[in-house]
Amino acid sequence: MRTMAKIEVVSERCKSCGYCIKFCPKGVLAAGSKVNSKGYEYVAPVNMDACTGCCMCARICPDGAIEVYK
Amino acid sequence: MSRVFMKGCEAIAEAAVRAGCRFFAGYPITPQNEIPEYFARRMPEIGGTFVQGESEVAAVNMVYGAASAGVRSMTSSSSPGIALKSEGISYCASARIPMVYANISRGGPGVGSIQPAQMDYFQATKASGNGGFQMMVFAPATVQEAVTMTYQAFDYADRDRNPVLILADGVIGTMMEPVELPEMKRWEEIAAIQDSKKAWACIGHKLDYAHRSWIEPGHWRTADMQKANEEAAALYESWKVGAEVEEYLLDDAEIVIAAYGISARIAKSAVDLLRKEGMKVGVIRPITVHPFPCAAFEHINYANVRAILDVEMSIPAQFVEDVKTAVKDRCPIETCLCSGGNIMSREAVIEAVRSIYKK
Repeated sequence: MRTMAKIEVVSERCKSCGYCIKFCPKGVLAAGSKVNSKGYEYVAPVNMDACTGCCMCARICPDGAIEVYK
Repeated sequence: MSRVFMKGCEAIAEAAVRAGCRFFAGYPITPQNEIPEYFARRMPEIGGTFVQGESEVAAVNMVYGAASAGVRSMTSSSSPGIALKSEGISYCASARIPMVYANISRGGPGVGSIQPAQMDYFQATKASGNGGFQMMVFAPATVQEAVTMTYQAFDYADRDRNPVLILADGVIGTMMEPVELPEMKRWEEIAAIQDSKKAWACIGHKLDYAHRSWIEPGHWRTADMQKANEEAAALYESWKVGAEVEEYLLDDAEIVIAAYGISARIAKSAVDLLRKEGMKVGVIRPITVHPFPCAAFEHINYANVRAILDVEMSIPAQFVEDVKTAVKDRCPIETCLCSGGNIMSREAVIEAVRSIYKK
């Protein structure tokens, strides 16, 4: 069942390190579709149906660029 | 003792707080951001001070200053940030100032990559700055060990009046594990520690100018500088008997894996699987990588051993040089390496052991 989670990425803070992509147990996030003003291909949720709202992406993000709402 | 589930970086910070660390200055860098983040939140709760410096150089010199005033002080960074801090660390070593720092290392020279690696071995153990000073260097393989080492590091630093390094990596720093946290030092204990430094620290001379303390990161008179270097060398020599090591299944070993930190933990899990297949493999894991536990390599029955397998997350291999010094050509040394932020896999270790058996 889909949880009512929502992921917000502050795209300007993202440096595309890929930690959230690697640490998400459900493969919710991906990078590469858009570029921020610093030239980084920032991360965005691409598979929200799989998101359980575990917040692992927000916890691991070195730049505090991710917020998860449940 | 309370058992909690914590991320490595946060656990290191909490262990420092419990050891009486009341000053932290740092500068953000992945994968150690959670250390300053944790201190920023925790220090105000306990009457300590957290400063985010304008740079790594500023932060390490703030620690130099605070520690000179007798406060248990700490900084942390990751590989390129530690390189920037090397000036301040060298000054602390020269002035014989106790401080603790953690290197949550990452992959490669320059900015490298931000994923875990063990690329700073030479820097940590041989030349952490100018002037040939040395430090005790602890290499944790679990979050629990990182906690214990950080807690004890402050005691070693105060005992020796010398910097102490916790050499972890991005895996230890970012993974979460259950840990038992040590006792929180009471303020009376912390005050007593600070008081015990009165003989040398700048704690306040009360206008007694004749007996005020001087913090000197060097000496203009060559005789004084040589004397200071000789005293430091005697201190470094005294550590050798205290080198810590874990010896795992060495008695009948035909292949001995030499590894430290997270690589050793991965290697041990590979050994458990290989033992089930009847392969006699053991592990030597230096817990202190400086002083290096050479004595452990004397416990091997070289008549029995086909090879030593050096497993480390560094290309080119660095740790292997200390292993070579300890093995003294008594058997071949093979390597199993990865680098650049790639984490050593159990399968790679198993494959490397198998290929030695096939030879």
